[in-house]
Amino acid sequence: MKQLAMLLAGALLSAPMVAAAQDAGAAEALLKKSGCMKCHSVSAKKDGPSFKETAAKYKGKPDAEAALVKHLTTNPKIKVDGKEELHESLKTKNEAEIRNVIQYILTR
Amino acid sequence: MIMRWWGNLKQRCATCSRVTLGAGVLLLTLVLGAVMLTAGAAGLAWTNTEKFCISCHEMKDNVYAEFKGTIHDVNRSGVRAICSNCHVPHEPIPLIKRKMRATLELVGHMRGVIDTKEKFEAHRYELAKRVWTRMKETDSLECRNCHHEDAMDSDKQSEKAKARHAKAKTEGKTCIDCHFGIAHKEPDGPGPQELKVVKQ
Repeated sequence: MKQLAMLLAGALLSAPMVAAAQDAGAAEALLKKSGCMKCHSVSAKKDGPSFKETAAKYKGKPDAEAALVKHLTTNPKIKVDGKEELHESLKTKNEAEIRNVIQYILTR
Repeated sequence: MIMRWWGNLKQRCATCSRVTLGAGVLLLTLVLGAVMLTAGAAGLAWTNTEKFCISCHEMKDNVYAEFKGTIHDVNRSGVRAICSNCHVPHEPIPLIKRKMRATLELVGHMRGVIDTKEKFEAHRYELAKRVWTRMKETDSLECRNCHHEDAMDSDKQSEKAKARHAKAKTEGKTCIDCHFGIAHKEPDGPGPQELKVVKQ
């Protein structure tokens, strides 16, 4: 029991470290490949919110990652200049790559 | 001074007629002028080569390293845009003005303003802002040297691209307002759309 508690504590403690060990280069490459940078940027104004704005919006929210996974993989409806359109998905099915991009966005 | 020089020349060549002497001087001036013009043009062309641009490690290790692999470096058709295609105007007068300004930038090179990765990162936004400002002033002239708006077939563009381009036109935006950070890393700070620049 004690061992299990220690294991869980270890996993919890290591979670932020995993999040921090993101591959920024791979995230930037996938964002570019998926065409995200056409509407978004890291900090500048474009049609879509900047990654910094998104990071600020989700700061401290426990459901941030789940919400972004949904947003970046299910083509949800969004509004651009009052017109509805479908948000593009990341051009990958690899879960680790998706999570890496999301961590990149959330840590801007 | 010219008259004194002409007098000396006549004294030295007493047997030559005034016409022969005049023709000789004119020919020499023309030849010298042609040599200087050719050397100048060749010099300008040389400073426009990729090899010249990356002869400084500031360019080679930072902006050039980022440019490698982007759409302007490698693509399906093999048409490349090198540094000078986007950063040097093609028209003679703006080109010479830009080159003169670039000569002043050599002072920065000698003083080592961006000679380390850290120093370059500290100046990245300021450097990008300078390029964005110039491109906004000239309605993205260097983009338009290759990308002709009249030759863009909107049927071959996505619906989103069509809508964005139409909107940009009505809002008086220019290429760089949206197409930034495509050949180099995006700096941290406000983008071209947030810069207040008057078109020339």
